[in-house]
Amino acid sequence: MKPRTERYQNRIELLQGTLDMLILQMLQWGPQHGYGISQSIRGRSGEVLQVETGSLYPALHRLEKQGWVASQWKQTESNQRAKFYRLTAAGKKQLLSEQARWAQIVNAIAGIMSPAPEGGQS
Amino acid sequence: MSLWGWLFRRHQREQELDEEVQAHLRMAAQERMEQGETAEQARAAAVREFGNVSLVKEVTRDVWGFRWLETLLQDLRYGLRQLSRNPGFTAVAVLTLALGIGATTAIFSLVDAVLLKMLPVQEPEELYRLTSVSIKGRANDYFSYSTFKLLEANNQSLSGVIAFRPMENVDFVVNGNAELARAQAVSGSYFTTLGVKPVLGRTITAEDDARGASPVATISYGYWTARFSRNPSVAGARITLNGAAFTVIGVTPPEFFGLEPGESVDVSIPLASLPVAQPQFAATGTPYDVLAAPFRNWLHLMARLKDGETETRALANLGPVYEQAMRQSAEGMRGLPFDSPGTRKGFPETRIQLEPGSRGLTALREQFSKPLMFLMAVVGVLLLIACTNVANLLLACAKRRQREIALRLSLGAGRVRLIRQLLTESVLLAAAGGAFGALVAFWGSNALVSLMFHSASAIQLNVRPDARVLVFTGLVSLAAVVVFGLAPAWRASRLDLSQAVKESAQGAAAPGRSRMVESLVIPQITLSLVLMVGAGLLVRTLQKLKNSNPGFDEQNVLLFSVNPGMIGYKETQVAELYDRLTEQIRAIPGVSAVSFSTFSPLARWSSFTDARVEGHTPKPGENPAVTVNFAGPNYFKTLRTAVVLGRDFTEADTAGTPKVAAINQAMAQYFFGDSNPIGRRFSIPGWKADDSALEIVGVVENAKVNSLREPSPPAAYMPFLQSPDSFLAVTFEVRSAANPTALAASVRQLIQQADNRLPLFGVKTLSEQIDESLVQERLVALLSSLFGLVALFLACVGLYGVMASLVARRTRKSAFAWRWGPSGCRCWESCWDEAWRWR
Repeated sequence: MKPRTERYQNRIELLQGTLDMLILQMLQWGPQHGYGISQSIRGRSGEVLQVETGSLYPALHRLEKQGWVASQWKQTESNQRAKFYRLTAAGKKQLLSEQARWAQIVNAIAGIMSPAPEGGQS
Repeated sequence: MSLWGWLFRRHQREQELDEEVQAHLRMAAQERMEQGETAEQARAAAVREFGNVSLVKEVTRDVWGFRWLETLLQDLRYGLRQLSRNPGFTAVAVLTLALGIGATTAIFSLVDAVLLKMLPVQEPEELYRLTSVSIKGRANDYFSYSTFKLLEANNQSLSGVIAFRPMENVDFVVNGNAELARAQAVSGSYFTTLGVKPVLGRTITAEDDARGASPVATISYGYWTARFSRNPSVAGARITLNGAAFTVIGVTPPEFFGLEPGESVDVSIPLASLPVAQPQFAATGTPYDVLAAPFRNWLHLMARLKDGETETRALANLGPVYEQAMRQSAEGMRGLPFDSPGTRKGFPETRIQLEPGSRGLTALREQFSKPLMFLMAVVGVLLLIACTNVANLLLACAKRRQREIALRLSLGAGRVRLIRQLLTESVLLAAAGGAFGALVAFWGSNALVSLMFHSASAIQLNVRPDARVLVFTGLVSLAAVVVFGLAPAWRASRLDLSQAVKESAQGAAAPGRSRMVESLVIPQITLSLVLMVGAGLLVRTLQKLKNSNPGFDEQNVLLFSVNPGMIGYKETQVAELYDRLTEQIRAIPGVSAVSFSTFSPLARWSSFTDARVEGHTPKPGENPAVTVNFAGPNYFKTLRTAVVLGRDFTEADTAGTPKVAAINQAMAQYFFGDSNPIGRRFSIPGWKADDSALEIVGVVENAKVNSLREPSPPAAYMPFLQSPDSFLAVTFEVRSAANPTALAASVRQLIQQADNRLPLFGVKTLSEQIDESLVQERLVALLSSLFGLVALFLACVGLYGVMASLVARRTRKSAFAWRWGPSGCRCWESCWDEAWRWR
């Protein structure tokens, strides 16, 4: 992996990393603005996950600096001007690797939480 | 993102972030309204849900990077606000620093120009200067042409040897206009070895420096500008130097002034064309021919070492070559009038030496290095006082800001952050001080140069503040910040919170708090006293020198010089011209006496030579030498030098009469003790082809020759008209009843009428010439007095500040005392007591 990305990953805690992944995931269905992203995360998680604006906006700006999302000012459906974020090609690749990693983590944690018999394979 | 991108897009990003947040809030509110909430409710709920808007913005901004720059800008803004809130404090602090930094920079720019700056040539550090030193330790800067040629041809360690000779003034005629120019004669290797490339045309080459080559010259950029208005067709222009035709071949670059800092060369000609430009000096065809006589030492030599050569190896290599040259010199003298086994023996006893030559010749450096280093120390002290003063002010200010600092500390500001903020303010002060200081320095260093070098024509120093000087100013300002800013900032941040709040409520600080301020005032006063006392001593020395009797009366004497030999006058013509001029000048109303001499009193040069006195046998190793001067009729009467025995020179002392001389008391004492020297005879061997004995007809009082500081050396005076000389210039001394400068115009007119090709130079009064000879003393005394006064003033300001804050602290107490106490005197006493305790 490139050193730059490594540094980025080292700096970010698991929870934040998860937020980045969630944002990228939300954007794969098309460009969305900050408010829209927070609303869809909330809706899709069944109101379980509420994203703090104090985490959302730094994360969006960070992803943009990283080159994984790009932004553009556009009109919303209700005719308001808003800053829309969309996934870049690099962002798509990043999302795929995040998804794979996430699956690994989930499996690993699941393995710990529902222990298999001694000597079993995880 | 790059720093520039950040700088340019910072504002735009800020706006976009704000818009983004507002859009978020609007959309959230709208959704709530769609669910039936009122506009106001929806708006409030959206904001509540969003959280702290400025905090969100702040953490988002952090992501952009350049946080440190952001903080710095914040600190700067805050600092500027603080400073503009206290304009009085700011003005005093900035002015104080500007004075300190400016004085330091001004002196440094001189130190740089005189002592440090490298020559404007290629790789100056490879250059070495050749000198020779005799067994007795006397060093000699000059070499003969044949020595130069031998060294050039027979060395393995030098990539080039150059020879050059400053020529004083030459008469430079272009398109019929005559003006004096400073010239030098250079070897063909000069420009190529130095690596000086012409800006126009070409430079002098080895082919130009061959016997019989047509005479060519390069001119300096400054002279090209002044005389040719930078006309590009100057290459090929016909000019006349001292009456001989030369062709201009090129222009040297603007930064090139020659190899002697303080001098600037206008014209360079090849050594080989010296015979046409200075025929008397060159003496072509005689045994004294400068380009042939191996014993005539007249050239400065410099050399560039080959890559990888060391000084020691080069010296080992040059030694034998030089010995050979010296043997040749001794042989070359055989049969000449001044030849003697003793003189011949002297040559092989000298050794060649190498000195670092990256800074050029050393005349100016030797004269001014000590005074300049002394002044540098003085301004250093001055700067220290200025810094202490500002530190005092800052401490006093910090006291007033205790509440603010306490508040910020209690709100959780870090101490480091606080120190940084306070230091930022100090940096702002120092930056402003430095900027004004640079202005002070620019103005000051020019004033200094004109002060140091009275006759501006003689010395050309470039003291324009360049990058080095500005870097120096920056470093000094930075050092100043550390000195005056760190301690107050550190102290302020170590504030005891509860104490501070209590105190500011009471409006008084605990006595212990001001100790630091007080301890700063004491060294400040001490330092300024030291400066003042030092300055007083220097002024006293200068006064003593000025009041000492120089052996002549310097009041109301006008000096001017002419050199008719330069435009081809022969000996008899010169004598005739001087005779006529003397008569005509004497007829000018207001002139009380007039004479002339080859060396005027305290001119920068004199002649020192061996003397043979009849009846005096030198002891072994004794080498009796006297200074000689050739003077016109009435010389001693004109200068008011007392004739102790015998007579002054008169119009009757001419070529046809027996040769006579006058000597000073020092010479009489040396050779004749207490016996009467009148009628005794002596000779000056080797001075002229004719060195027959001279009869002493007068003894005069000791007059200063080279410097007011040194005792008068033994001196002999000869009537000029008995042995006229067309090589050296003479200086006329004109004594007038009143202001002598008023005569300058009539004198100029007379010279014009006598011969309009004859340039007049060195027009000044004798007192001016004496002032010039005292330039070091005057400079140091004047500047240290000035700096001492500034230091004293600063110390007073500092003392006032401390007393004011002390009295302010006492005011509350005093108010009680005045109201309830026994008498007002007590308040005075307590203030005095405290002041007294600082001793």
